[in-house]
Amino acid sequence: MTGTAMEAAALGRRFGRRGDGDWALRDCTFRLPAGSVCAVVGPNGAGKSTLLAHAAGLLRPTEGTVTVLGTTPGAARARLAYIAQDKPLYPQLSITETLRLGHELNPGRWDGAVAERIVAEGDLDPHARVGSLSGGQRTRVALALALGKRPELLLLDEPMADLDPLARHQLMGALMADAAENGTTVVMSSHVIAELEDACDHVLLIGDGRVRLEGPLDDLLAAHVLVTGRDGDLDPHTVVESRTTGRQHTALIRPNGPLDESWQTTEPTLEELVLAHLRSPDAPVLTLTREDEAEEAAA
Amino acid sequence: MVEYRIDRRSGVATYVQIVQQTKQALRLGLLEPGDRLPTAREVVEATAINPNTVLKAYRELEREGLVEARRGLGTFVRKSLGTTPADSPLRAELDAWADRAREAGLEREDVAALFTAVLDEHFRDDHREGDEV
Amino acid sequence: MTAVTPTPGEAPAEEPALRRALRPRGLVWTLLSLHRAALLFWVLLVAVAGGTLLWAYGPGTDGAWSEYRTMRCAFSGEEDLSCDYTGEAFLALDAATYLGAMIITVVPFLVAVWAGAALIARELETGTAEVAWTQSVSPARWLTAKLAVPAALIASGTALLVLLHRLVWPSNRELLRWLDWQWYDDLPFRSNGPVAVAYALLGLAVGVLVGLLVRRSLPALGISLVCLLAVHFLLGALRPYLWPSVTLTTTEDYPVFSGMPVDDGGITPIGSHVPNPCGGEDPGCLTQHHIVGFYVDHHPPSHFWPLQLTETGIVLALTALAVLASFRLLHHRTAA
Repeated sequence: MTGTAMEAAALGRRFGRRGDGDWALRDCTFRLPAGSVCAVVGPNGAGKSTLLAHAAGLLRPTEGTVTVLGTTPGAARARLAYIAQDKPLYPQLSITETLRLGHELNPGRWDGAVAERIVAEGDLDPHARVGSLSGGQRTRVALALALGKRPELLLLDEPMADLDPLARHQLMGALMADAAENGTTVVMSSHVIAELEDACDHVLLIGDGRVRLEGPLDDLLAAHVLVTGRDGDLDPHTVVESRTTGRQHTALIRPNGPLDESWQTTEPTLEELVLAHLRSPDAPVLTLTREDEAEEAAA
Repeated sequence: MVEYRIDRRSGVATYVQIVQQTKQALRLGLLEPGDRLPTAREVVEATAINPNTVLKAYRELEREGLVEARRGLGTFVRKSLGTTPADSPLRAELDAWADRAREAGLEREDVAALFTAVLDEHFRDDHREGDEV
Repeated sequence: MTAVTPTPGEAPAEEPALRRALRPRGLVWTLLSLHRAALLFWVLLVAVAGGTLLWAYGPGTDGAWSEYRTMRCAFSGEEDLSCDYTGEAFLALDAATYLGAMIITVVPFLVAVWAGAALIARELETGTAEVAWTQSVSPARWLTAKLAVPAALIASGTALLVLLHRLVWPSNRELLRWLDWQWYDDLPFRSNGPVAVAYALLGLAVGVLVGLLVRRSLPALGISLVCLLAVHFLLGALRPYLWPSVTLTTTEDYPVFSGMPVDDGGITPIGSHVPNPCGGEDPGCLTQHHIVGFYVDHHPPSHFWPLQLTETGIVLALTALAVLASFRLLHHRTAA
């Protein structure tokens, strides 16, 4: 359960022609530990999908590299699974045939029992055409196809979007159960942070194509403090975001050393942490996974 | 078997909630020595929380000597906290006390505050894991 | 980390060994299941065209012959041009042969449209291609299967139809004189040799390349069709020049020849070949323009095979280019 499941080094991706293209990802460097459940968060259009597609070997980086399971995404193809945001599946196949496809295209890896159990738990008719399924049912089949492969790394792009609360809970449960049983590393993106807070233990925040925050959830939360008090000096602490309302001063900081007694402190929630960073694009980058360089400033 | 209910709004860390609810089950006699705790898989499947959270809670319980992990078999209750089963004399006394408090005109919040204050006085060490449900 | 436990598949043990060996697997199974409708359509098309040609070869020809004989038009050494032959059985044979040739010629276009839209672009459009690429199948292997499986089916079906068409064609030489069809006409030429198979494969390769480039079904469908039509007409126009033609010259009338005409005109006193300025053989006009003879460039029937094989070679080369471009494009786009 140790080691690195996914690693990016100066990963950049530009869409469009040379020169005038837009960078969807720029200079992304991070490391996600194996066995973690990692949330890739950030606003829509931040580059989350692009990042996951690179990890799945579906896109070629414009610059830099992405390494998954210790090798290139192409070489790790058999050991990773990926579900795109709109859960594409062949509409003309039945559920049984879709699972058969998993069996045929993953020789030697496919575990039909796992896939069938996920389908059965959703109370789906195995002979139903995929094209006739609802959004939640479709996601379930996509998840069955992904987990039937027994992946070591599971990449999910906005898996819970368009699902009702029950389906959301059930599928997240199925996902966590697989992670518990097989030690699967799960990397999932979402712009709804609250739905991930209980499930994930690792966070990668992407804003505007760049890594903003990265590290174990608990460590990231512990590294930040929400302070309130009368206007005052916050040196030598790193201020991520600060607001003044009348005499009251509120700030999210990364403490460097003991805090002045006059400040009232609370630990932020993941949502507060993410929102504060997104509101302050100039806040310094923080990555905690690389022990050697715990904190590095943004250029 | 015990079933965990995770309250997202409680402000109490998820793993602490599992620890508390396990202890509560031990206290009420819902779990007895030799009983198996649900596996991490079972818990996360029902609650959709991170497996490591469950493992962290179980490690905490193990550290306190309440449960033990048996390799490949699961996590089992080692000892009971059941000095106060649901129908014990202590509970009857508390019952009677609550009745008297009510007759004395105390509101629910007053009773709770009073009870917590007394608890804090007598169980200072356990403060961190106050057992109010 | 993940112990790869041998998973008991749901393979039914009672299946006979032969059937198990022949059962399609992996990508082949996937392709056949995904495109069942197209496969069915293709089998039906081959069956209809093949049946029609077989009918033309057997009962169709027999019927026409007996009708021919009844009408006392039988060819007996000398052409009987007074026999105005338009019987029903004859027309039926004509229609059947035409239909067979038509289907053979239209196949490449159908294939191109299908390959561009349904085989490739729709998968890229809906993201199902990414489903395949994130199983244990690389994009390159996926593309290989997408090309190889349809290619095998299309080539074998087309080859079968061409063989049947060739069966009908020479067995009716005398009857076909009345059809007024020549071996070098576009339809028979394309239906009578390997060039038909080459065009069908080109349709597949062009469709795949366009599908990969455009990534949207409807535009892919249209562009594939236009590309193939362009190649079709271009090579049709170039066909007479794909092999050196034979030149006949005379000093009196236009030379008599049989085969594909390429060019004709007059000969000047210094021997150069010029277009006939008179349009005919009016002696006054010819003298005035100093035309001393006539020439005809043409392909005799013996040029059928050289022409067929050259055109087949060119079409296959174009196919190979399109296939190569497809692989390069896909490789460039996705991580290997």
